[in-house]
Amino acid sequence: MMGAIRVLVANRPRLMRELVMAAISDQPDIEIVGEVEEESAIVAAIEKSHPDFVIIALDRSRGLPAFYEPILQNHPQMKALAFALDRTYFTYYWASLRIQSKRMEASEAGILDALRGRAEPTERLQ
Amino acid sequence: MAVEGKITVSILSSNRLLRESIARILHKKKDIEVIGAECADFSSANKISLSLPAIWVSDSLDSFINQIRPLFGRKNEAGGKCVLMAMADDAKQFLKAVSHGVLGYVLEEGSADDVVSAVRGVALGQAVCPAHLTRVLFDYVSSQMNNPYSSRARKQFKLTRREQQLIPLVSRGLTNKEIAAELNLSEQTVKSHIHRMICKIGVENRFGIGAACEISQLDA
Repeated sequence: MMGAIRVLVANRPRLMRELVMAAISDQPDIEIVGEVEEESAIVAAIEKSHPDFVIIALDRSRGLPAFYEPILQNHPQMKALAFALDRTYFTYYWASLRIQSKRMEASEAGILDALRGRAEPTERLQ
Repeated sequence: MAVEGKITVSILSSNRLLRESIARILHKKKDIEVIGAECADFSSANKISLSLPAIWVSDSLDSFINQIRPLFGRKNEAGGKCVLMAMADDAKQFLKAVSHGVLGYVLEEGSADDVVSAVRGVALGQAVCPAHLTRVLFDYVSSQMNNPYSSRARKQFKLTRREQQLIPLVSRGLTNKEIAAELNLSEQTVKSHIHRMICKIGVENRFGIGAACEISQLDA
């Protein structure tokens, strides 16, 4: 799919991952380049599929899981959207010298806006 | 709202993404009609209850207990059937959900197809949960049936859980010291429990406790 936004879906739990995929799978300008069930397989999947976005799970303290920080630093063109089942927001992470983040409402429109770059990452939370 | 030949579903969740996505998935099924998807609060629940959904889908037991259940009776009257989804794999939480009348239970590690199957199953009059939680139910029922004093004694004599635990031990003729050792309590604590049980049940001494609870069970 030429020019499509490439998304690697790697969040947990399974139900949330499937719901995120349901939200974006019908979009003609978005291509799901992979689904990852285990955290241990994420790095290899990123190296293989070169996504524009990786969708991940927030950690227990509702922050960016520590092991993603070097991944984002090493792939500055890639951004991450992090979800949790019990949160009404998701967090948009990107690397710009340091890791930046922005919270957005967890909704279909919110995800699509983030993926399409309509939600400019301007606000820094951490 | 009756949609001919279709299972009508309302979704109640504070997570907008969750309710939008599950609505999208259910909407694609020919036998299911989503007639409402709202934030989990009482006024939203009240509003969509007017559409009389056959099945409620929610991601929160608290929402079910506080917002859906009050709209209906205890016996899963039409419109009061609920499927909980995205639930933690927790046996206590599951048993609590069952005790409140939830009929479908899908774990967070379940799939979207599991939610669809649960909706269909509950609409057909079944109760649906993962197989390993069925085992939890079997174990629970077995433990309740093998402790004949438990529920009846609790209701009739208002015995505490600890006091219920003491009934079979007292009935077996164990001394306070032996009961204390078995339950890892002090002898004085056991003595106090038994004194309170004698007062609550209205028997003359400890030997009447077992008999009174047995008769109570037979009367049930």
